[in-house]
Amino acid sequence: MKYFSLRCLCHWVVRIWEQCISAGAGLMYRFLPCHGPTLIPFITNCVSFCRGLLSQARLHSIAAEKKNYLQEEPTSSHRRNASQFDWALMRLDNSVRRTGRIPKTLLQKVFDNTCHSGSPGGNQALLLLRSCGSLLPELKLSERTEFAHKIWDELQKLGTVYDVSHYNALLKVYLQNDHKFSPTDFLARMEKGNIQPNRVTYQRLIAAYCNMGDIEGASTILGFMKTKDLPVTEAVFSALVTGHARSGDMENAENILTVMKEAGIEPGPDTYLALLNAYAEKGDIDHVKQTLEKVEKSDLYLMDRDLLQIILSFSKAGYPQYVPEILEKITYERRYIPDTMNLILLLVTEKLEDTALQILLACPISRESSQNDFGSFFLRHCVTMNTPAEKLKDYCKKLKEAQLHTSPLQFTLQCALVAQKLDLAKVLMKALKEEGFPIRTHYFWPLLVGHQKEKNVQGIVEVLKGMHEIGVTPDQETYVNYVFPCFDSIKSVRAVLQENGCPHDDNVFSQAELRSKAVNGNLDYILSFLESNTLPFSFSSLRGSLILGFRRSMNINLWSKITELLYKDGRYCQEPPGPTEAVGYFLYNLIDSMSDSEVQAKEERLRQYFHQLKEMNVKIPENIYRGIRNLLDSYHVPELIKDVNILVEREKTDSRKPSSSDLESKLEKLKAENQPIGDILKQLIVMLCSEENMQKALELKAKYESDMVVGGYAALINLCCRHDNAEDALNLKREFDRLDSSAVLDTGKYVRLVKVLGKHGKLQDAINILKEMKEKDVPVKDATVLSFFHILNGAALRGETETVKQLHEAIVTLGLAKPSTALSSPLVTLYLEKDDLPAALESTIDCYEKYKILPRIHDVLCKLIEKGETELIQKAMDFVSQEQGEMTMLYDLFFAFLQTGNYKEAKKIIETPGIRARPTRLQWFCDRCIANNQVETLEKLVELTQKLFECDRDQLYYSLLKLYKVNDDWQKADAVWNKMQEENIIPREKTLRLLAEILRNNNQEVPFDVPELWYEEEKDCPTSLPSPVEVNLQIMSSHFLFSFIDAFNIFLTAKKQNIVFDNETYARLINLLLMKDNSTQAMQVKDFAETHIKGFTLNDAANSLLIITQVRRDYLKDALTTLKTALDLDQIPSRLAVTRLIQACALKGDTESIHDIQKLVNGLEDSIGLSRMVFINNIALAQIKNNNIDVAIESIENMLTSENQTVDPQYFGLAYLFRKVIEGQLEPALKKISIMAERLANQFAVYKPVTDLFLQLVDSGKVNDARALLQVMTHHMWSSEAPVMKSLLELIPELIDKEEAYTCLMKSYVFDNDVTSAKALYESLTAKNVKLNDLFLKRYAVLLKNAGESVPFTEPPESFEFYAKQLKESKETHL
Amino acid sequence: MSTRGAVVLRTNIGRPVAFVRKIPWTAASSELREHFAQFGHVRKCTVPFDKETGFHKGMGWIHFSSEEELHNALQQENHIIDGVKLHVQPQKPKALQGDQTSDEEKDF
Repeated sequence: MKYFSLRCLCHWVVRIWEQCISAGAGLMYRFLPCHGPTLIPFITNCVSFCRGLLSQARLHSIAAEKKNYLQEEPTSSHRRNASQFDWALMRLDNSVRRTGRIPKTLLQKVFDNTCHSGSPGGNQALLLLRSCGSLLPELKLSERTEFAHKIWDELQKLGTVYDVSHYNALLKVYLQNDHKFSPTDFLARMEKGNIQPNRVTYQRLIAAYCNMGDIEGASTILGFMKTKDLPVTEAVFSALVTGHARSGDMENAENILTVMKEAGIEPGPDTYLALLNAYAEKGDIDHVKQTLEKVEKSDLYLMDRDLLQIILSFSKAGYPQYVPEILEKITYERRYIPDTMNLILLLVTEKLEDTALQILLACPISRESSQNDFGSFFLRHCVTMNTPAEKLKDYCKKLKEAQLHTSPLQFTLQCALVAQKLDLAKVLMKALKEEGFPIRTHYFWPLLVGHQKEKNVQGIVEVLKGMHEIGVTPDQETYVNYVFPCFDSIKSVRAVLQENGCPHDDNVFSQAELRSKAVNGNLDYILSFLESNTLPFSFSSLRGSLILGFRRSMNINLWSKITELLYKDGRYCQEPPGPTEAVGYFLYNLIDSMSDSEVQAKEERLRQYFHQLKEMNVKIPENIYRGIRNLLDSYHVPELIKDVNILVEREKTDSRKPSSSDLESKLEKLKAENQPIGDILKQLIVMLCSEENMQKALELKAKYESDMVVGGYAALINLCCRHDNAEDALNLKREFDRLDSSAVLDTGKYVRLVKVLGKHGKLQDAINILKEMKEKDVPVKDATVLSFFHILNGAALRGETETVKQLHEAIVTLGLAKPSTALSSPLVTLYLEKDDLPAALESTIDCYEKYKILPRIHDVLCKLIEKGETELIQKAMDFVSQEQGEMTMLYDLFFAFLQTGNYKEAKKIIETPGIRARPTRLQWFCDRCIANNQVETLEKLVELTQKLFECDRDQLYYSLLKLYKVNDDWQKADAVWNKMQEENIIPREKTLRLLAEILRNNNQEVPFDVPELWYEEEKDCPTSLPSPVEVNLQIMSSHFLFSFIDAFNIFLTAKKQNIVFDNETYARLINLLLMKDNSTQAMQVKDFAETHIKGFTLNDAANSLLIITQVRRDYLKDALTTLKTALDLDQIPSRLAVTRLIQACALKGDTESIHDIQKLVNGLEDSIGLSRMVFINNIALAQIKNNNIDVAIESIENMLTSENQTVDPQYFGLAYLFRKVIEGQLEPALKKISIMAERLANQFAVYKPVTDLFLQLVDSGKVNDARALLQVMTHHMWSSEAPVMKSLLELIPELIDKEEAYTCLMKSYVFDNDVTSAKALYESLTAKNVKLNDLFLKRYAVLLKNAGESVPFTEPPESFEFYAKQLKESKETHL
Repeated sequence: MSTRGAVVLRTNIGRPVAFVRKIPWTAASSELREHFAQFGHVRKCTVPFDKETGFHKGMGWIHFSSEEELHNALQQENHIIDGVKLHVQPQKPKALQGDQTSDEEKDF
C-alpha cells in the first residue's frame, strides 16, 4: 500500500472510522448525536444558564414522574400543577431549611407566580397558607393574618377549591398569629362551604378557645368531639393546660396532667411546654424551674426550640429578667440557630429588641474569625421596625464589644440608607464621626436617590441640610448625579437652595453646573462660561464631562474653540505640567473614551478638529502623541495619525540639545584640562547612537576606553545589534561584563544580542546570553516571548537547524518561556522550508512527545497531501488519532484537504457518520481563511458543513460575511442572505448587522430590518435563586450568550417531558423567536402554550411582532387573523405592524383586506398613530395593482375636490403611492397619475400631489420625467422660460418642504453638471438667507470641485449617504 | 505562516489594570486610590455607582502606569479598606463601560 490515491486514503479513513463505531460503545457515546434521557452532552455545550434551566427541567420531570405513581390519570394539567407545586415547595422549603423562615418578598413572589399560572392547585394553596404563620417572624402578627386572608380570597377567586385541610391550615395560622376570632363563626363558614370539620379542626378550635382562656367554649367543642366519638389527644390536653392557665386557674392547669394520666395518656414535651409557658406568662420563675427539673428527671427531653418558646413567653409577658436563666439551659445546637434567629427577629417585631439583643449576645458564635459578622440580620430588622436611633447606637456598641460584629455602625447606617431613613442615618453618622470614622459624601447618595425618583424637592433640601449638619459638603458628583436631575433647571436648584438656606460652595456648584451642561453636550454654554468665568480652576476637573459633551455634540468649531480657550487661557491650565500636557491628555482621553467604530465614524470630524487646533497653534507633547498614535492604530484608523502628528511640540527637543560636534569639542577640552569626562563621553555616545553613527561611536569608545561607563556600553551594544554587527556587540558585551559583572541590560537589549549572535552562528554565546537572562532574572514579558519566536522563526526560514534547535531547547529548559505551539513551530518550519516532509512530521511528533503540542500539524498535512505522501499521512493520522482521538484526526484531515483544494475528499471526511461540529476548530479555520483572504476555501468550508451535526451555521456564515466585508463584495454577501434563507437558518443579530453594513457601504438597499439591540430589557431584571422567573431571564438572556436556538431547544426538551413553564416564559420565548424572524418556531411555542395554559395570550408587543413576521413571511391571512385577535383582546397593535400589513396587502392588490383592516382599526387610528393617508395610498395602490387605475384616480380626485374633505389637501401626501408606482415601473398608471396631478394643480389649485410626484421623480433619478412634468406645468401657468424648478418653487406657495425641493433641484443640476445654474441657485438662496442643509452644500461642493472650481465654504466632511440619511431622519422626527 | 504565531502571542499583552471586588460600601474611588497609591502611580480609578440605588456594586478598577506597579499590588496578600478585605485580581483590558463615577479628574 505504498502509493494510494487520495481517494483511497479517504476510503481508508472512513472505513477505519466505521469500524471504530461498530466496535466500541464508548466511542458511540463520545461521538454519536446524543438524544434520549441523557442530557450531559447538551449541557456541556451550553453555559450555566442552560444548566440551570435543565436542572430545573429535570427536577420538574422527576417531580412529575413521582406524581404519576400517585395519580391514576396524569393529565397535562395535573402535571403542570405538580411541577408548579414542586417548584413553590422547593423555594419555600429551601428558605425554611436554610434560615428557618420565609422572607415576605419570597412568599409574595411565590404567591404572585402561583396566581399567574392560571388555576392554582389545592396543594399550592395549602403550601401558601401554611407559610403565613410563625415562618414570617419579620411581620407583625396582624400583618401575617392579613396576608393569609389575602391569599385565601385571591386563590378562591381563581377557582381553587378548598377542603378541610385548607380550613385547618387557616386555623393553625390563626393560632400561631394569636388572631382573635370566633370559633363558632368559623364553623358556620365551613358549614356554608359544605365542609365537614374533622378532628384536627376541633382540636384547633379548642386551642383557640383555650388561648382566650375560654374553658367553657373549649368544653363545648370537646362535647362535640365526644358525641362524634373522636379521640382526645395530647394536643387537646395541652390546650386545656393553656386554657386553664389563661383563665387564671393554675391549679387546674397542673391537674390536667393527672387527668391525662388517668385517661391513659402520658404527658409529653408539648404538655410540659404548655405548662412551662403558662408559668412563664405569670412570671413564675420558681415553678418554671421546678417543672424544668421535673422534665429533666423524666425521660422527656426539651429541645432548644421549646426553651426559646419559654423565653418568648417570659418576654412577652413582661419578665425579661428571667430570660438569662433560661438562656443558660440552651445548648445552641447548630440546627437550632435558625430558630434562635427567628426568635430574635420576632422579638424585634414585637418591640422587645432589648431581649432580642440579650439572646443574640448569648449566641456562641465563634468570635475568632472576624470575617463573618453576626447580628446583621438583627440590626437590619431593627432598622425596618424603626427601633429608636439611640438604642440602635447602643446595640452597635455592644455587638462590637462582644466581637460579634466588626462594623455594626457602618452596617446599620447602610440599612438606614437603603431604607431612606434620614434621621436615623444622621444619628448613626454622628456616632461614626465620634468614633473617628470618616463620613464621606457618597453616604448621602442613597438618600438623595429616593427623593430624586419622586422629584421631591423638599426631601432633597432636607438631605442637603443634613449633609451640612454632619459637616459634609456636597461635591460636584452629588449635584450632577443626584440633585440636578430632580429639578427642571439648574437655575431653579440655585434658587431653591438659597430659599431654604442650604449653604453651598458657589465654586463647586457652578463647576457642577458646568459639568452637567457638558455632559448634556451643551458646548455653547461651556464656551461662554469659560470665557466669562473668573474663578480659576483646573481643566482636568472638567475633563471627563467635557469628553462626554464633545462626543454628544458634533460642532467641531466649538470643540476647537473650547480646547483653544483651555489651552491658552491662564485661568485653566496654570498648574504644572501646563497646557501642553493637559490638552494632550485630554485628546488622548477623548479618543480613548470612544470605541473603535465611533472613531472610525467620526474620522473626518476628528481630522477637522486636529487641523483647527493646529491652526490655533495648540501643541501636545510627543510622548502623549505616541499614546494617541497607539490608540489610533489599535482602532484601525492609522490614517488619522498624521493629523495628530502635526500637533506635536517639536521645538523643545530640537533647541535644547547641543549637537554631537559641540559635545565632542567639549569632551576634548575637558580631556585636555585633565578633568573627568565620563558623563560627557556617555552623553556623546548615546547621541551618536541615536544618530545611528556606529563608526564614530566605536572610534570614540576605543579612544577613551578607560572612561567608559555602563550606560555607554549598553547604548553601544544596542547600536551594534541594530547594525547587525555581532563581532563588536559580543566584544562590547564582554567589556561591559568586565566593567561590572553584576550590571544588567534591559530585556530588549538581551533579546537583540541573542538574535544577532544566533544569526551569526555564535550559538554558544547566544545561549550564554540566555543563561545570563535567567541568572540575572531579567523580566520576560509576552513581548519578549514574541521576540524569541521571531528569532527562532528567522533562523528556521534561513534553514539554520542547529540554531533553531539549540536556542529553542535553551529557552525552554531555562524556563524563559513555555514551549507553546507558536514558540515551537519554528522547529517544524525548519523542515517544511526545506521540503523535508518526513523530518517535519517527525519534528511535530517529537514536540508532542516532549511538550504535548502539535505545532504546524495542519501545514505538515497540507504538504503531505500536496506531495501525495500516503504513507506519511497514514503515519500522521495514526499518531493523531491515537494521541488526540479520531475526531481530531478527522478534522485535521478535513482542513488539510480543504486547504489543498481537494474538496471531494474533504466532503467525504466531513460526511463521516457520527462526526459532529467542533465550534472552536471550525472557528480556527474560518479565522485562518479570513486572515489569509482565502475566499474559495472558506466558501467550500461553509458549503461542506451544511449537514454537519450541531453545526452553528449562522456562525459560519458570519465568518464568510466578515471575509466578504474585507473584500467589499456585496453581491456575494447578498447571496449569503439568500442562502441562509434557503437553509432555513435564522441569523443572529450580529450577522444581520454585518450584512446590512456591507450592503449599505455599497449603497445597496438593506432587505430587512436591522435589529436594534435590546439590552434595555435586561436591565430591570432582578436576580436571585433559580426560579421560573429566573428561567425566563435565562431564556431571554440566552440570545446574548448563545442563540435562541438553545432557548428553543430547552423548550423542546421541556415539552418532551411535558414540563410547563409559566405564561411569562412562553411570552418571552415567543418574542425572542419573533425578533429572530422565526415565526414557525414561535407559532409552535404559542400553540403549545395555548393548549397547556388556560387563557394564554400574547401581549401587544408580541402580537405586533408576530404580524410583522407573518407579513415578512408572506402569511398575510395569518397576519390578518393575528391582528383581529389582538384587537379582540383590546390590544393596541404597533403602527409598524399595521402599516406593514396594509402595505403588503396593497402590493398583492388585495383591496378587500385593506378595507377590512380599516374597519378593524376604526376609531383606533389615533392610538395606533395611523394616518388616513396610509389607507388612501394603499387602497389606490391595490386598485392600480388590480388594473383599476381609473377607479383609484377617481377616488383620489374625489377626495381632494369634494366639499367635505377628510384630509387637508396640504397634508394629502401621495409620495408613497407615487414611489411604489415608479418603483414598480407601472408605466400606464404613472402616466395617468401624472395627468391627475397636473389636473389637480391646474384646475383645482391643489399642488401637493404634483409636488410629491415631482420630488419622487427626481428622487428616483427620473430627472427627465420630472422636467417634463414641470414644463407642462409651467407651460400651462407661466409662459416664462425661467429655470423650471425655480418657477415651481415660486408657484407652489404651499410647498411644505422647500428645503427638500432645493436639495432636489441641486441634485438635478449635479446630474446635468450645470455649474452655472447651481451657482445662481446658491447665490440666490444665500442672498435670501435661506438655511441650506449639508446635503445641499455637499452636492454643490462636489459639483464645484469636479468642475475645478474652488468651494467658498467648508465642504461637509461626511458622505452623501450620511447627509441624506440625516435629512431623512430630521424630517421624520418633525412629522 | 510565520506571522500566525506572532498574532497568537500578541493578544496577551494588556494594560495594567487591577479589578477589585468586595469593596465595602463605605469606600469609594478616592479611598481606593489612596490605598493603591502605595504600589505605584494610579492613573485612573473607577468605582461605578448605581444611580438607581446610590450605592456602588462593590467593584472597581485601578489603572496603573506600569505592569510592575500592578504586579506589586497583586503581590500583596491583604488589601484592607475600612476593615474589609478586598479581592484584587488582574483585569483583562477594555472592561469599563457605562455609568460610572470616576475620580480620574484628579489625575495629572
